[in-house]
Amino acid sequence: MVRTKQQQQDVAETTLRSSSRKRSRAAVDETEASTPSKRRSSRPASTSANNARSEYDFPSDDERVELEGEETPKKRGRSSATAHAQANGEISTPRGRKSKGISVVTPSRSRGVANGETPRRQRNDRSARKKSARALIEKVVEGVSSDEEVDEDIAREIYESSEDEEDVEDGAPNGRNYEEDTEEIPDEAATPSKKSRGRAKAKKGTRTRKKSPTPPRDLPPHELYFAQNRPGAAKTSNNTLASLKLLTHEEYFSLLHDYKEPHEDDIDFLDSIHVQSFPQWVFELSQGFSVCLYGYGSKRALLHRFAKHVYNTISDHGNHRIVIVNGYVRANMSSLRDILSVISSAIDPKHKLAAGGASVMMENLKSLLSSHDVTITVVLNSIDAAPLRRPGFQPILAQLAAHPQIQFICSADTPDFTLLWDSSLRSSFSFVFHDCTTFCPFTTELEVVDDVHELLGRKARRVGGKEGVTYVLRSLTENAKNLYRLLVGEVLVAMDDEGDFSNENPGVEYRMIYNKAVEEFICSSEMAFRTLLKEFHDHQMITSRKDVLGTELLSVPFPKDELEGILEDIV
Amino acid sequence: MASEKIDEVYEEKQHQAAYIFDPSGDFDEATRPAKRRRVSKKLEASQAHDTKTTSSFQCLLGGAELETAVTLRKETFEKLWSVIGSRIHGILRETNQSTLQDVSLFLRNASEYTPVGKIPSAFIITGPNIASQDLLFEQLSETLHNEANAQTVRLRSGDASNLRAVLRKIIQDVVSKDTSTGDELDTTTGKDGRKFLNYDLEGLYSYLKLASQKNLVVIAFQDSEAFDSGLLSDLISLLSSWLVRIPFAFLFGVATSVELFEARLLKSTCQSLYGDQFDVEQTASIIDKIFKTAVAHSQTPILLGPNFLGNLLERQREQVASIPDFIMSLKYAYMCHFYANPLSFLVPDGLSSGALQPDHIELLRCLPSFQQSIEVAIKNNKIDQAKIMLHDDEALVGYLVDSLKQRGQWVTRLLRVLKILITSKAITADFSDLYMDISHNGLDSSNQYNQFFDSIKRMDPGDCEEYLLKLLETMQHGDRSLGLDPWFDEVPETFALLSEILASIKQLRVETADEGHVLRSKYSGQSKILRTTVVAQKVQLSQDTATLTDHDKSYTDLIHRFLEHLESIMHVDGALDMPFNEVWLYDSRFPYKDVFIPRPRNVLERALSRPHDYLSRSCCKTSVDQITSTLPTTAILYQLYLETGSLINAADIWSAYYAIVGEDDEEGLDERPALLLFYRAMAEMKAMGFVKQSRKKADHVAKLAWKGL
Repeated sequence: MVRTKQQQQDVAETTLRSSSRKRSRAAVDETEASTPSKRRSSRPASTSANNARSEYDFPSDDERVELEGEETPKKRGRSSATAHAQANGEISTPRGRKSKGISVVTPSRSRGVANGETPRRQRNDRSARKKSARALIEKVVEGVSSDEEVDEDIAREIYESSEDEEDVEDGAPNGRNYEEDTEEIPDEAATPSKKSRGRAKAKKGTRTRKKSPTPPRDLPPHELYFAQNRPGAAKTSNNTLASLKLLTHEEYFSLLHDYKEPHEDDIDFLDSIHVQSFPQWVFELSQGFSVCLYGYGSKRALLHRFAKHVYNTISDHGNHRIVIVNGYVRANMSSLRDILSVISSAIDPKHKLAAGGASVMMENLKSLLSSHDVTITVVLNSIDAAPLRRPGFQPILAQLAAHPQIQFICSADTPDFTLLWDSSLRSSFSFVFHDCTTFCPFTTELEVVDDVHELLGRKARRVGGKEGVTYVLRSLTENAKNLYRLLVGEVLVAMDDEGDFSNENPGVEYRMIYNKAVEEFICSSEMAFRTLLKEFHDHQMITSRKDVLGTELLSVPFPKDELEGILEDIV
Repeated sequence: MASEKIDEVYEEKQHQAAYIFDPSGDFDEATRPAKRRRVSKKLEASQAHDTKTTSSFQCLLGGAELETAVTLRKETFEKLWSVIGSRIHGILRETNQSTLQDVSLFLRNASEYTPVGKIPSAFIITGPNIASQDLLFEQLSETLHNEANAQTVRLRSGDASNLRAVLRKIIQDVVSKDTSTGDELDTTTGKDGRKFLNYDLEGLYSYLKLASQKNLVVIAFQDSEAFDSGLLSDLISLLSSWLVRIPFAFLFGVATSVELFEARLLKSTCQSLYGDQFDVEQTASIIDKIFKTAVAHSQTPILLGPNFLGNLLERQREQVASIPDFIMSLKYAYMCHFYANPLSFLVPDGLSSGALQPDHIELLRCLPSFQQSIEVAIKNNKIDQAKIMLHDDEALVGYLVDSLKQRGQWVTRLLRVLKILITSKAITADFSDLYMDISHNGLDSSNQYNQFFDSIKRMDPGDCEEYLLKLLETMQHGDRSLGLDPWFDEVPETFALLSEILASIKQLRVETADEGHVLRSKYSGQSKILRTTVVAQKVQLSQDTATLTDHDKSYTDLIHRFLEHLESIMHVDGALDMPFNEVWLYDSRFPYKDVFIPRPRNVLERALSRPHDYLSRSCCKTSVDQITSTLPTTAILYQLYLETGSLINAADIWSAYYAIVGEDDEEGLDERPALLLFYRAMAEMKAMGFVKQSRKKADHVAKLAWKGL
């Protein structure tokens, strides 16, 4: 709120240039490249009347301000943080123009002009500084770690306000100076000036590449790591998957059913190689080793075939039983108990393991084993699956594997699974490892759709867009509907105000919504209000977060067009 | 039909946490009679043993190996390893014996001299080898149970998440160990019918009262450093308040030092402990012992070569330092030898078993060591002999028998030489290093151990006397740890000579001592001069040698004779020079490295960046780092992933992916199937820990792994 106020003041003062500003705002919407150039390139369009005018004819109002912007850092020599940046800014900016044929005289002339307008500049400095300070605070509070992120935040914020007030521009370099290597400034200032307006979108891409050219192919790994983690290097585009209709579970499975693996022959061949070493594994198991298979691809089918192989070689199935354990099964969180009880039932179906902790069950199982002359082959799929990574699991498994009557064979899918065990566990497992790269897809082990949606930050359980919301609202009370309408309306208004969709939706203050809800007789007490909100929370139709000052903000996790659709539906 | 059924089960049960694999599905588990099994148990066990034999060892020689030979290999392995295994086990038992005695003595007598209100505690300095702690504490609890009539509760830091859990474990363990009075009621209900919570020490107290003996309850903290110090302090102060009713005692396994351990506890807690410190034999020395009994022992049937042993020992010293690992690695070497070497059955006395078949003879003739010996024979103009060996199977077998016998003598000679070397102080190398070097390269007069001979030359009479004494002693007694019998009667002339030299030296020393002279040899004198030449002139040097007395000269002669003799007896061939060494030499580092030191990450990276290494199909064969649409999806995605920075835009990587596999060419995929594959690959990347969700930007993921790091 504070910000808009200030912007309005600024607008009042600079009404003269408002027309050009508006146009540039329209064009500039998506890019975040530094503002001066953008404005410059947009100027011909705005002042269509004197198209022929070249930049060095005479300084227009626009020009003057721009130059002033370039000069300001130098004037503000009192700030030690920016002192270093000055030199760069000074040297580089003119160079960019030189290429366009600007005479050296122009800057010096404009400098004089700039000098005459001290009061306004000071004010501008102040606002820009406020902004960058705020950005800094936000950085600390939100724990945003990398520099380029902050840089962008600042740039964006300053850019937003520059829609209304061009003077603020000179804050951009300042703001950056707080955060960035100074060497970036010449780059940013110089490069865009060579580009034409029309390629605003492409420009973003090329600029990033220019700044961090794709490193040469054959860098050693550590060099590549530093190249890719260079501060400021990792600029990614703002493209989102919004235009792509994400897969639903149904679609996933129907597609999967129709899909034919092109590498089937090779996979079978690879499989046949592994099958040849079955007797070896049996031998290793019989000698008190545990076998661990690793490598890329699902090893579940392979292990199943191995189980079959073992089964066929067993002469007496009462004496030697096979238990298959699926470590990846995540629904069942008490799986350790399950595993142990299944093993005990394999030894003696009538025996019930004592209740209690896993270690107690383990002791019980051991005594059961010692009283029976049986061998149990435990085939464990994915020993490094998330459910088995919880504390306490691996020691029990190690005890199991170390038991002389238990033969233990398992598979591991992640590249870092050996970190699961310390040396004591490792030696009680007494593993032998075999590379079993199968290239088989993980069909059961992974919940592909949920995993990917979680990876992309889309909640899997969220109600599906407009239809989902209307469906949920249909079953709710009139008050709830009204509250949601109110909330969506407010969020849309806030969106219009901020005009920035790249990140999360803007939030609206909890208090404000509550007051409005009371005014509209949607609810009478905060209690009732909370209850209504909880319903929305459960369906993940709203999000809530706290801002820097601790104010609770409510928002709606849907894109703008969908929100508009929802609003239409409710009203 | 049957396989279909199996597959059905396979699909059906894929979401079950655990199930019994039983493809036949014939009998119902619940109703399975248990009796039948018990009756025929022994018979079945022997049968099972038979079938296992045939199944787990594979036919070698391209399938031509007869079953008897296969069985023989397996049996030989089992027989030989069981001998070695039991020897190793004996060593392990022995090594802890003294510690066990000390600790149990301490705890037995603790009650007499422990001040009132303090808990007797034994600090056992185990060193960093936590892997063998289990064995130690198992032995401790056994010994304490037998000798001090104590109940031992072994706690690991993993069990001790909070105080309540620890107490529960202590109580349960004490109660359940006593199987004779397995009544659970006793623990949970008091005399007045009151129920105790399962972490209430009152329950333990009443249980122990029922047991009526004044049993010591020993609580062993196996890895005391890993315990939360607050928890430990709480536990100790709580237990010390119960000390009047329940006699507690503590065992702490300390990996660092008692001082550091003490520093972690509260002062008040420390004051309630009264303890002593016990040392355990450190890993290195145990490994050395095991090396001697299991590797260098004269009765070991297989010689392990330096490639394998060097790797094993290095890893042992620098990385794992775990005794079980060491033993298992040795075992694995044996397994490899007998599993993959068709001639391995010949090792002890396989010729008598009659399993030798024509294919074996063929193989024997192809062995490089055999060919080498033929070449040697031809060089020495024994062409007839070579011809006979090449054509006559009988002669070959005879030669084989001789060679295998020779091998036994060779091992004995090797060990004797080693013994002579190691007795000297001049050799600083480990026994294991010496063993590896000499067994592999052999030892002859012209080589690496000049340092040893030099040191003998320069020996003081005193040192020399000592060394000779030790040598004679070794010859008379052998070395039991190496399985080396006394051999003085086998080489009487050596023994006589050494004794004579020893006697002469003794006499000379006595005589010179009477004269007030210091006995020295030419060489020792010189070395003394060399030291003085730093300040003195060169002239002095020659003067000094001239002043050797008659005694000195005769001592020099003695040293000369000693040296000559040593040089003549210190001669061993390298293992590779022995004929048919392939039968009993195992020296391959590869299965060991691959099997015990996996590099899963490299394997995974290789599979993804060069899938054609695994998938033989031509379509996947591309030049390095080129992405084609025929690669597996995850591999394509992985290539793209390698080029990204630390933040990845999912939309961009999707469009890049789709640009590769998309519809442009005629084989391209439609969008939805492509998306399916993309999804699957992304989920795999996530599961493998390459990417995770990022909140920095919408639809972005964070990169977590860099190739090759």
